[in-house]
Amino acid sequence: MNPQIRMIADLDRAIHEPGRLMIVTLLSAVDRADFLYLLHETGINKGTLSSHISRLEEAGYVEVEKTYRGKVPQTLLRLTADGRKAFEKYRRKLKESL
Amino acid sequence: MEQVENVLERPKLYYNIDGVGELGIGFMLLAYALLGWLQLHSSPNSAWNQMYGFFLYCGVMVAIIHFGSKAIKNRITYWRTGFVDYRPRDKYWIPLGLGLAVSTVFSVGLYVAMLRHSEMSLLVPLAGVAIAACYVRFTKQARWKWSTFGAMALSVLVIAALPTEVAEAFANHRDLTPVLTAKVVGAYGLMFAVYGALFMISGGISFWLYLRHTQPAAQEVE
Repeated sequence: MNPQIRMIADLDRAIHEPGRLMIVTLLSAVDRADFLYLLHETGINKGTLSSHISRLEEAGYVEVEKTYRGKVPQTLLRLTADGRKAFEKYRRKLKESL
Repeated sequence: MEQVENVLERPKLYYNIDGVGELGIGFMLLAYALLGWLQLHSSPNSAWNQMYGFFLYCGVMVAIIHFGSKAIKNRITYWRTGFVDYRPRDKYWIPLGLGLAVSTVFSVGLYVAMLRHSEMSLLVPLAGVAIAACYVRFTKQARWKWSTFGAMALSVLVIAALPTEVAEAFANHRDLTPVLTAKVVGAYGLMFAVYGALFMISGGISFWLYLRHTQPAAQEVE
């Protein structure tokens, strides 16, 4: 197989899905953000966003913290060190393969 | 790939989604213009011309900007479009580094210009262009902001073309040094006032549009 094509096949699938890519990209530019911010920025519906976050949490890329803003529940999300490394690797590979 | 890079820029632009960034800069420029005016129109022994007065004034100004921005974010923005906490690098180190670099370049430039007895009034439009160039960052958020940029560019020309008497009146016809004449100081003061007002107007419109186009989220965030 052509090495460049091979590189595309090797892209991290946990990140490569468009919805998850948006989430990881947004989180990589900040320290942490809440669910509402991702909902607003990505335009994905709540259910789909939740499932993408769960998938990223399972992969160890996103850390989820349930807290309160006043009396209102708030879900804070942060990219883990592994998540940052994986995203940087993904960007590098994508750049090289395009 | 380009799309990924664009998405990476979005959280930084989010800080000014409600116009708070522009309101803060506008307030700071207006506050500096007012301080300059107060210093020039009061006696040299007044509190405005003492070091403690300067630091006190700046402390109050910074506190109003800091706590005012925080209050708007906490009470309005985070409830409507979500909460973002920036990385320490973006929150402290980059702004601090930029601030230090700009003030160093400005101080060295001013010192060299004073040594050479250069014509300082030429620096006024240059400073105006530099501030307008910084504003270009905000135009990424909405196209109408280009009109504010146009107004800034136009105001540089207007201030440069103003009769000397007008600029000198702002400076109370007082020359600070042989180089920093009343005309130069007055032109700087006017530029700060005009740019401050333009930033405030632009920030105010952004804030109004933000309130119009967003709704507080349901009580349960998720």
